[in-house]
Amino acid sequence: MTAYQLLRRAIPVAVLALAVLTPPVFGTYATSAIGLKTLWLGLVAASLTFLASYGGMVSLAQVGLFGVAGLFTAWLSVDQKLDPWLAAGAGIGLAAVIGLVFGALASGSVGVYFLMITLALAMISYNVFAAVPQFGLHEGINGVFPPAVLGDPVLAPTTYFYFCLAASLVVFALIRYLVRTPFGIALQGVRDEPTRMAALGFNPRVYRTLAFGLGAAIAGLAGVLSVWSNTRMSAGSISLEVTIDVLAAAVIGGLWRLEGAWLGAFVFTVLEIYGPAFTDRYVTIIGAIFLVIVLLSPGGLVGIGSRIDAAVRRVLAGPVAGEGR
Amino acid sequence: MTDTTSNHGASSPTRGRPDPIGGPASIARSSWRRTLAARGPALIGFGLVVLGLGGVLAQALSKGLGPTGNLPIFILVSMNALALAGLYFLAGSGLTLIFGLMRVVNMAHGSLYLLGGYIAWSLTSKAGLDWFLAIGVATIAIGVVGLVMEEVFLRWNLGQDLRQALITIAISLILADQMLANFGAMAQTITPPPVLSGSAPLPVYDLRYPIFKLVTIGVALGIGILLWVWIQRTRFGILVRAGIDDGAMAAALGVNVRVVFAVAFFIGSCLAGLAGVFGGTILSLAPGLDGAFLLSSIIIVIVGGMGSLIGAAVGALLLAVIQSYAAVYLPSGWSPYAMVLTFVLVAAVLALKPSGLFGRASA
Amino acid sequence: MDGTVLRLVGVTKYFAGVHAVENVDLVVGAGERRAILGPNGAGKTTLFNVIAGAMPATSGRVELFGRDVTDLPAWSRTRMGLARTFQTSRVLAGLSVEDNLYLAALGPRAGRLRVLRTPADRALRGRAAAAAEAVGLADRLGIAAGELSHGEKRQLEIAMALAAEPRLVLLDEPAAGLARAERQRLTELLLGIDRAVTLIIIEHDMEVALRVAERVTIMDRGRILTEGSPDEIRGDQRVHDIYLGRGHGA
Repeated sequence: MTAYQLLRRAIPVAVLALAVLTPPVFGTYATSAIGLKTLWLGLVAASLTFLASYGGMVSLAQVGLFGVAGLFTAWLSVDQKLDPWLAAGAGIGLAAVIGLVFGALASGSVGVYFLMITLALAMISYNVFAAVPQFGLHEGINGVFPPAVLGDPVLAPTTYFYFCLAASLVVFALIRYLVRTPFGIALQGVRDEPTRMAALGFNPRVYRTLAFGLGAAIAGLAGVLSVWSNTRMSAGSISLEVTIDVLAAAVIGGLWRLEGAWLGAFVFTVLEIYGPAFTDRYVTIIGAIFLVIVLLSPGGLVGIGSRIDAAVRRVLAGPVAGEGR
Repeated sequence: MTDTTSNHGASSPTRGRPDPIGGPASIARSSWRRTLAARGPALIGFGLVVLGLGGVLAQALSKGLGPTGNLPIFILVSMNALALAGLYFLAGSGLTLIFGLMRVVNMAHGSLYLLGGYIAWSLTSKAGLDWFLAIGVATIAIGVVGLVMEEVFLRWNLGQDLRQALITIAISLILADQMLANFGAMAQTITPPPVLSGSAPLPVYDLRYPIFKLVTIGVALGIGILLWVWIQRTRFGILVRAGIDDGAMAAALGVNVRVVFAVAFFIGSCLAGLAGVFGGTILSLAPGLDGAFLLSSIIIVIVGGMGSLIGAAVGALLLAVIQSYAAVYLPSGWSPYAMVLTFVLVAAVLALKPSGLFGRASA
Repeated sequence: MDGTVLRLVGVTKYFAGVHAVENVDLVVGAGERRAILGPNGAGKTTLFNVIAGAMPATSGRVELFGRDVTDLPAWSRTRMGLARTFQTSRVLAGLSVEDNLYLAALGPRAGRLRVLRTPADRALRGRAAAAAEAVGLADRLGIAAGELSHGEKRQLEIAMALAAEPRLVLLDEPAAGLARAERQRLTELLLGIDRAVTLIIIEHDMEVALRVAERVTIMDRGRILTEGSPDEIRGDQRVHDIYLGRGHGA
């Protein structure tokens, strides 16, 4: 194995190592402010990236579903005094069910029309929550703690951080496994050519709906992780701004690669936390980065990485190797 | 749906002659059923609307027809619904125009709306400009902003719907932050011009109604008609439609598709700005309203159908009616369900006729 | 009724202001090799789309294997044993050639929604490999379908139709854009297909079609002009007229 190939293999390992070492090395603040947010934001962005890259569906409903799970879980644990694990299960379950309904409604549309429909559905959900007094726009529900075994996410976030990290890794592995199953391969076929798939015997709407339900469950899990991280959530947590933030994170990281979701979430979180120190208009900066990436490098940061990698490999292969693709 | 009573008994493969059992009569029957299937969803939707209106009317008439009954309130609420519908139509028509004609989805449409309102507000409140002048300046200014956006960011990637949506979303993010920086977080309203202020008497029940809202209804109607005439009847409108249907062919015939598209985008953006000024005068201007009006414009386009002006009008009316009546006539404590009703409207249309009430079903 | 695989009764398709297909009756028997020919714009592909369920008929009836399928969607018809190719190759660009064929083999079968990988998959992949072999793509199995050459994509289209082990295959201009040698190979491939499978080919070009077909249906301007054996068609003056008399197709 060449030195460069070794380097390439080492990068994901290094990233993982950095993540694992965050609590002891970077301290409590970094762990809870940057680490936790990167993980749950990355997870909801991953639900978007999964649907986009494997299902060909760019959905703006993910944050809405994230909110359904988070707010429902919060309400169940605080107002209904339900055990946090059960509340989480119910929250994710509800998000999945609503996801299937949304998916069924939107699965007949593709492309930008689908984008608009999912946006409409998500914003309506937001408005419904905002109007219900129990959830409220800014007040929201407070005092939502994760199960005791996971520790205090604010003061001693280490255990909780590792839990979130493990959950993210499990979801990542699950998606990678799923896309090589018959369902997953068929889903990708529906992404590429729905008419062709219909001619082959597959009903495209079924695949889109089921994938959307899965994406909703993942977004729901992110919602639960988020409400436990912050110990509170309100309808304001799922406003249009947040929806666009998640989209920005996913696009900046790279909409066509699953890893991009967490990379984009990390970049976004860092900008959001450290940006205000430089300028009040850090949102404009984020928007500008988002715009530049869409214009110049639709594959996002991961895409840029791929292209650097391809260029390096070409250089290493030497000028003689003339074989094109 | 079709006639499945095929009696295959004696038929043998015939050459070019219709099977005597499945003759013209059965074909006629099956197309009748197909027509019903095609029109059915619209009929069901219409039925639901009638049902909802029935419930509202029942309440409105419950205390009789006198001035102390519920009828006066009903009339006022209905007028408000019409004014809101007018506003929604002004805002949504620009979006449906640009998408339906050019297949460009401008997710910054709500930002243009809000910016138009803010510009007019600055002009009237800070610079003391006359309202009519301010609305003219704001409308043209937003048209220019939209045009610049189209020329710089969108013209070179026509056809890449998703990419354009992402680009315009990014722009909306930037615009929202800049508006926050320049115009503040507090809600503002634009003062209507003196000649349009105050209220006018209505012919019934000694009611009075704000003149400006009446003007809004009138302007919406007027612009709707103008747009329809422009698109359907004028040479330019036909050129726009030709440019959409077959850009390459139109270009080959000497139509400057570029110019046609640019003008259409300019006009669509002007409409957004104009709507913003009206919205700022009737309602208010505040951060977050860009998203709200993007949402309502999107809903109108989904419900009414892409590119259909009539659809936009009907969609605007349905949305405004649902929101206005729900706010007043739903039992108290049910107010969150006003939004749920909006969802039901969208879901119903998507389930029954995904291309929108007046949209062209894509092949 | 046993021997009839496809039956169209009064099928009409009207869109964009024209009757693309007008009052067509057609009967194709089991094991037949039928060609549907006609100049450009005759409505052949539209007819295929109606038969395959890609478009609903405006009126009329479509029967496959004795069942009325007029209102059934495309995937239902495929599950009954129908396979089709498209005029412009619609291969699944983001998936490998093998995955394309795997899906084609999986489509008509149960287990399309499986999230577990079972031994049945091995059989399906075996069929995929065999289909690739049959069209000469065996060495391209791992390549993404989007990176195939134009000719290879056409081959993949046909392989996908065959991988499903259908009872009726609709081939839409399989020879379009192929060089002479490729057309030769295509002809041999089609001639070698099992007699239990019924073939219907649309072609604009006569060469491949008349060699493979036993019976020919000629369409013109949405209607059926005539039907007959290849020799009868070759000798039919009206057929010559519609091809030559009107210059380039309408």
